[in-house]
This record gives sequence, structure tokens and C-alpha cells, in this order.
Amino acid sequence: MRLTRWWSAVAVGLASFAAAAPKGTVPRSSPEQYALHAARDGVGVGVLALSQEQARKQFVSDVNRCCVVVEVAVYPAKDKTLDLSLNDFVLRVNGKEVGTKPASAKVVATTLQKKARSTRDITVFPEVGVGYESGGYDPVSGTQRRGGVYKQAGVGVGIGGGAPQSGSIEKDRSAMETELSEKGLPEGAASAPVAGYVYFPVERKKNFTMTLEYTVNGEKVQLKLPQ
Amino acid sequence: MRCRVLRITTLLLGLVAASLSSPRLTAQSAEPASASARADSAQVTAASETNKAAGQDDKDAPAEKRKLRLRLGGFSVGAGYSHFSGPYYYPYAYPYAYAPFGFYPGDWVAASYWYPVGSLYPYYGPGAFAAGDGRGEVRLTADPKAADVYINGGYAGTADKLKTLWLDPGAYDLTVSAIGREPFHQRLYVLSGKSLKITARLNSEGVKEKP
Repeated sequence: MRLTRWWSAVAVGLASFAAAAPKGTVPRSSPEQYALHAARDGVGVGVLALSQEQARKQFVSDVNRCCVVVEVAVYPAKDKTLDLSLNDFVLRVNGKEVGTKPASAKVVATTLQKKARSTRDITVFPEVGVGYESGGYDPVSGTQRRGGVYKQAGVGVGIGGGAPQSGSIEKDRSAMETELSEKGLPEGAASAPVAGYVYFPVERKKNFTMTLEYTVNGEKVQLKLPQ
Repeated sequence: MRCRVLRITTLLLGLVAASLSSPRLTAQSAEPASASARADSAQVTAASETNKAAGQDDKDAPAEKRKLRLRLGGFSVGAGYSHFSGPYYYPYAYPYAYAPFGFYPGDWVAASYWYPVGSLYPYYGPGAFAAGDGRGEVRLTADPKAADVYINGGYAGTADKLKTLWLDPGAYDLTVSAIGREPFHQRLYVLSGKSLKITARLNSEGVKEKP
């Protein structure tokens, strides 16, 4: 039993080494498996824009606070290598000329940490009081005074304090960077299908349309993302 | 374990017996001390005289009156027991070890006492997963419940005893394994103040999970 446990520890360790530093997500069997897909010069692209709920489930980091997350899968042409860079992607909101380039994992993690730090708890303490005073005797004249009803209202506001927000400390920033980096779209030469998340620092608003542009071999592929 | 308890009890009884059998020594050693105190203190001469007189009276007393007088100051009896159920690490092979394992022959030690010597994997001692400021929570449920849990390759314990783990913020490799089952692997990202719920269902080897 003991020996078995020791061997399983060795096996687990070796597996950890072998699977060290994973990058991206597992690409689906073909670009057609994604909600949006296109092909140019034999290069296939599959895209899936994550809703806020999907992003919450996929990430421990609260990416919804700063970014729109898009899962991108790229399928290089057969027997060809493709040089993949985040600079090849642009997100245009409401058809504007000025697009947004993806942010690196480090930038996103730093932004999220800053937002978590700046978040403060605000507590409001309202106070209302109603009472009746029965009156009493006037010490000078000795006559009885009339009673009366008194009313009072107040409010207190407390800001900050308490435990630090999740994601606000330096170790959190490092952990978020690791997560975003490991799940992000791998850059560099690719000869096989690759997939991963791309983070666009765009604030989500109601009724806005997003178009993802991918430049492959000098040609643009445009994919209109669903809201 | 019984042997150990018996040994401790015998030792304690022996100490009590030894303290009871030497009251004269205690009285004798106390006498010079009180004498020197008398010599040093000039202000308590009168009291010293009284004491001296009392001492002479004692010597002149008949033999039956000078019998052993036992004065118990007070004693305490205690017992202790320690038990460590986590993995144990020896920096060197124990004299009666089966190298490279640290192995202690006592049956009172838990089965998880050993740990590979010079291990590359992290070692998690008692309290390694305790709650603390700036830590994140991982709630682990495994099937089977007694599956072994490894974090970054280091043995952490069994799943039934590690229902809630508190870890420092960071990325971890979680592996849950059991004999005859396919191991479960997951990359964990822990943030301070956040809670993760992990359910590890280990399939029997050779049985593929339904998509």
C-alpha cells in the first residue's frame, strides 16, 4: 500500500512536469464547430464571444470588470506554418474606425487588481426615532408642563475598512496573470490548430455591436460578434 | 501504544516513589539554608533564638517523638500523547529504515508517516491548508471519498479529510487519484477571498466518461 502510494506520487510528479505550463484552450475539431467561422488562404478561424456569465464560469479572475473575452481558434493551412500574433486582431465597437487591440495578460491582471483595490465598501446607517415625553413639573413655578411627541432622524455613512477585496493583493495579481496567460491564445509559429482567449479592454454597454477583425497574410477577415 | 503508556505510567510512579522515600534529605537540606538565613539576618535574632530553642527541644525529645515526619510539598502528575497523521519527512535514512523511505517501526504511527527522502515535490505539514488572511478557499469533493490528493505533485492527504483547503493565491496542479481509478487532474487558480468548488469523479480504469 505504502509502496503503491509512493509510486503514484512519482507518477503524479512526472505527469505534472510533462503537463507544465499549458497554453490556450483545446481547439475544436474544425472552425465550423464555433459560432462564427471564416477561412482565408487556407487558414480557418473560429470565434466565440463569451457572455458575462460564460466568462464568470471560465475564469477565476473577474475579467468582466475590464474586458470582453473572445475565444479564438486558428487552423493553419495544411503543411504550412502560421505566425500568430495578438496584433493581428482588432475589435471594433459599433463600426467605429478606431478599433481596440487585445491587452496582454499582464495588463489585464494589473487593471483588475487596481479595480479591486479601488473598490470600497460603503455602508449607510439610517436612524429614525419617535418618542413621547410625558412632561413634568416646572421647578420654578411648580406647575405641570404638557407632554409632547418628539421625532428624530439621522444617517451615518461608513466607507472602506473590513477585509481587502478579492484580487487586490500582489499575489492575486500574479495568480490572475498566470491564469490569463495560460488560457490566452498562444502567440508564435503554429503548424497545428491552436485556440485560446483574447482579452479586449472594452467596457460592455447595452445595444452595442462588436466586429472582430483578423489579418491573415495581409487579408482581413471580419466576424460580427453576437451581443 | 499500550507499551508506551505503560512505560510513561511506570516512570511517573517511580518518580513519585523516589520523592516519597527521601524526605530526610529534604529536611536536612532545608536546615542549613534556614541556618544561613538566620546568620545573615541580624534583625530576626529573636526569632532565630526561638527556632534554635525549638531545635534543641527536638533533639532532647524521646526517640518515638523524633520519628520520621513526612511533609509533602506538592507534586503533579501528567501524561501526554502526540499523534501526527500527516506525511513525515526524515532528512536522512532512519537507522532502521528501508532506504530511501523513512520508516518507523512503531505501530502507533499512522500509515502515512513515510515520505520520499530528498523529494522534489512540496511537503505539506500540519496546518498547511488552514484558513488565513489573504488565502483562497478550495472546496473539494471526490468520488471515492478516500482518494489521495496531490497538490503540485506533493501529497496533501485524502479527499475525505481535505474537504476545505485554504491556499495562498497562485496557480496549482491538483491531482486526485485512487487505486483502480483514472486520476483526475485540474489546474487551479486561487485568489484571496474567493471560493472554488471542485468535484472530482474518478472513473474506473478502462471505462470512458460519457460525453
